[in-house]
Amino acid sequence: MNKTLWERIWETRTGYLMVVPTLAFLLIFQYYPAVSGLYRSLFDWNAGLVGNFIGFSNFVELFTDDDVFIRSLKNMALLTIWYLIAFVGLSTGVAVLIHRIRNERSKYLFRLFMILPVIIPAVVLILLWKFIYDSTIGPLNTILIGVGLQDWTHAWLAEPKIAIYAVMFRNFPWIDGISVLILLAGLQAIPVEIIESGLLDGASGWRRLRYIELPLITGQIKLLLVLTIMWGVQEYTAVWAMTQGGPIDSTQVPGMWMYFNAFRISRMGYASAIGVVMFLITLVATILNMRYIRSQEY
Amino acid sequence: MERRGESIAAIAGGPAHSQRRGLHRGDSWRIPALAILCVLMIAPLIMAIIISFKSPSQFTRVPFLPTWPMRWENYEFAVQIISQFLLNSVITSGATVIGVLLLSSLAAYSFAQIPFPGRTIVFYAVLALMMVPASLTLVPSFVLIRDLRLINTHWSLILPWIAGGQIIGILILRAFFESLPGEMFDACRIDGATDWQIYWHVALPLTRSMLGVVAVLNILGTWNNLIWPTLTLPERKMWPLTPGLYSYMEQYYTSYGRVMAGLLLGSIPLVILFVFTSRLFVEGLTSGAIKT
Repeated sequence: MNKTLWERIWETRTGYLMVVPTLAFLLIFQYYPAVSGLYRSLFDWNAGLVGNFIGFSNFVELFTDDDVFIRSLKNMALLTIWYLIAFVGLSTGVAVLIHRIRNERSKYLFRLFMILPVIIPAVVLILLWKFIYDSTIGPLNTILIGVGLQDWTHAWLAEPKIAIYAVMFRNFPWIDGISVLILLAGLQAIPVEIIESGLLDGASGWRRLRYIELPLITGQIKLLLVLTIMWGVQEYTAVWAMTQGGPIDSTQVPGMWMYFNAFRISRMGYASAIGVVMFLITLVATILNMRYIRSQEY
Repeated sequence: MERRGESIAAIAGGPAHSQRRGLHRGDSWRIPALAILCVLMIAPLIMAIIISFKSPSQFTRVPFLPTWPMRWENYEFAVQIISQFLLNSVITSGATVIGVLLLSSLAAYSFAQIPFPGRTIVFYAVLALMMVPASLTLVPSFVLIRDLRLINTHWSLILPWIAGGQIIGILILRAFFESLPGEMFDACRIDGATDWQIYWHVALPLTRSMLGVVAVLNILGTWNNLIWPTLTLPERKMWPLTPGLYSYMEQYYTSYGRVMAGLLLGSIPLVILFVFTSRLFVEGLTSGAIKT
């Protein structure tokens, strides 16, 4: 440490040069929009106009005078809880099922199969489900009529009371390949010795799962919880493609409502405020997750 | 793994025999249960394949079972419309992935191997962006792209995608560069190699498979982007495949055969990518998860 700071900076100048392009891109296309989003959420800002500074009025309006936003938050909570059940709960079940299979060939085949929902573009699956829900020619109603349940048929995506559930239950049987693969990787990384000593102690089947395997994959489960919550709060692609938030805003989610405000009615400041609320929700959820769920070490 | 566990149980005189039978019994319900799940998973695709070979009148008569003759012309029709979208996707996702690989490998090498003052702070400045969701930046990014006059150019996709995509790339590659033996790099430096030479001739060749992982992750991310391109590209002929398929379905909704043919054709590129990179694919999707 007998060199001065300037000498060290000069010696490692290549290091700075190598991160300059990255930083330039991040400053222009990530930091500037993020800061601008926070800043603009305090403005009454329409496209092309210089907005007026209005303090926290956008936020006040969101929570006191915007029924659609409140409904969108409820829908978001409903969907996120469902995604947690499906992506974390069901996936854990499937991952354990595959992990327990003894026949290596079928085990490999099932693992390979779990990739399928990933390599089929998400939009294709969404559009196929839009078609499945179609009220006149969709297979879902056709099947219901075929088995004599005419009364159960619906215009799935067009009835306000049902549409949000139709969006929610798309992609039946709701297996998320990535989650399954992540959990499987975790299960396979558990050292053989631990399972062996467990078996010697008589822990098999359910108890092996509950007391040995699940505690050792809390790391993976925690990761999935964080990712799923972040995703559940942000996600509006499915809503955008299936219903655009309708009918009568019954499937509105915050992302969709932000999109609508920004690009349909040009309330950009208001839309920025929605973006800030979504950012804060994910931030709080992630911090809580990091704090309160401890992962186990071997 | 389990088999070894049992052999130990057998040595210890435990209930190995019944246990082995038990596990076999397990297979006999697990495999059918998973097989049913898998069939349900691909049911919509099978439906799409069947419908894609139907003319409108065939669909009206028998909607969900195969009919003959098969109408291959649905695919001919779909190819003409899809190919422009596919080309746009290849251009935008391709340029993005090249940019991401270049920028993130350079930065990752620097973060891992060059102890420049302020390195930790700069790295955390990159890392912090993992917490900034796209929803916060959507509106301002759009205004920025408009102000930069990039609307209706493919740059409006490529530049923001490079910026966003390099973050995860830096994390993965930095971890890899740090795991390489430092003595090797020191030896290169003693022999008079500059960091640029070490990066290009030593570090990059060693990291080829990790670059593949980053590339696959990045392509999956940009390929599936539906909404952003519809905002920055007013002209449909500029759209990549994902929004293209959406507009194709909107436009031809009632010619079900053509729609399904288009959706299936649009699925093929990622399947091809998977066939050639299946190992990197699985590694990429599960990477990072094992260490957390």
